Amino acid sequence: MKQLVAITINTFKETIRDRVLAVIVVFALLMIAGGLWLGSISLGEQGRMIKDFGLVAVTGFGLIVAVFVAANLVHKEVEKRTVYVLFSKPVSRAAFITGKFIGLCGTMAVVLAGMGLFLFALVWIVAGQASGMVLLAVLMIYVQLLAVVAVTIFFSTMGSAILAAVLGICVFVAGQLSHNVLALTRLGKNPITEALSWVVYVIIPNLSAVDVKAGAVGEQTLAWGQIGLWVAYLLAYIVVALALATVIFRRKEF
Amino acid sequence: MITVVGLHKLVAVGLRRRRVEILKGVDLRVDRNDVFGLLGPNGAGKTTTVKVALGLMRPSSGSVELGVDGLSQVGYMPENPYFYDYLSGREFLGFCARLFGFEAAARHDRVEQLLRDVGLAEAAGTHLRKYSKGMLQRIGIAQALVNDPELVLLDEPMTGLDPVGRVEVKRIIERLHERGKTVMFNSHILSDVHELCSRIAIMRTGRVVWQGTVHEALAEAATLEEFFMQVVTS
Repeated sequence: MKQLVAITINTFKETIRDRVLAVIVVFALLMIAGGLWLGSISLGEQGRMIKDFGLVAVTGFGLIVAVFVAANLVHKEVEKRTVYVLFSKPVSRAAFITGKFIGLCGTMAVVLAGMGLFLFALVWIVAGQASGMVLLAVLMIYVQLLAVVAVTIFFSTMGSAILAAVLGICVFVAGQLSHNVLALTRLGKNPITEALSWVVYVIIPNLSAVDVKAGAVGEQTLAWGQIGLWVAYLLAYIVVALALATVIFRRKEF
Repeated sequence: MITVVGLHKLVAVGLRRRRVEILKGVDLRVDRNDVFGLLGPNGAGKTTTVKVALGLMRPSSGSVELGVDGLSQVGYMPENPYFYDYLSGREFLGFCARLFGFEAAARHDRVEQLLRDVGLAEAAGTHLRKYSKGMLQRIGIAQALVNDPELVLLDEPMTGLDPVGRVEVKRIIERLHERGKTVMFNSHILSDVHELCSRIAIMRTGRVVWQGTVHEALAEAATLEEFFMQVVTS
């Protein structure tokens, strides 16, 4: 447990002190502020436009941070041979993988909280709406990205950092679409395509189930009970992805 | 203390995964409180033997006994150590102490003591990316000693050090010996080996081809360097 805490703290320091992260966050805030311009050219829909555009920016930049940082977390330790120092001490591979994940979760929380609060303040100042839904939507984006982080760490234990990052992005995109693809193939009544899309649906995390952006901008009423169950599903998915990553990482030699 | 018996290691290399045997039956014995020098030309298998001993690699066959109660009693410094750029020397040693479960007060005391021991107290707050090679070598030794280990394994501890740094590292090894610790190190600097070691082993192409005391080696040649050349070229 103490090893897990040590690795978590170290990973948090590693990722939060990364200068590239600061640059990405600055760009993200500029992009969110860009929603002001879009709001100014949309008659009567200023608040909605700022929220809509801002949440897309939070998702996009959050995804960049999640995927590229997660893909390098394990890889960098192996490449730079800091694993020699770690694993010559009583540190288990499970504590290493889990600590890396939790540490990045901490950094992601700081990054998304910063972007979310900035967006919240912008909507409040410009449109006069103290929209708690914006913050809830950012929280749900955070949950989605945690699943992407876990999957990317899993991929990074098997291949290169670039491959892991690409696959992480693919999982995010597929996770947004898998539910709709399954529904569409069911309409087609072809058992093979339906079986295939079911397999994809089971393997890829259903991220769209916790996407509440439409609810945040007032286009949809949200069923919170169901969303809670999907959050539990994603948390279970994260545990499985990290367990598989640990199994693969245990087999590695340095 | 360390007993290595019939250690073999096969690795797959290249696209065709050709199997190459890099350890071909290593037998080695290091006694408690020895300062032991593991010598050999590049590619002889010294680092691989140490990695297998630490569990960083798995043996294909054979066995390694460290003679201590798990890795909590072992300290290791890899060759050309690279550490976390974004941490200061003090933070890095604190991180290593955390890995051994040190509580805050004990961790603080231990880290400050080690920083003084390796002569890095003044650079303790500087990020490791600004450290010179010699400073990294010293912080590497400090992290290997953070848990006050019974067994210390150092891979090329003198590399990159200036004469002052080398003397300091030699003093550290001597102090460890005086305190009853067992030290095994790889080195190409035979004068340091002569000065520090009680026993040595010489490896060549994945095998230990000679092991014994430094006195025994010097009985067969005028210098350790000459003896080493005799063994590796015979």
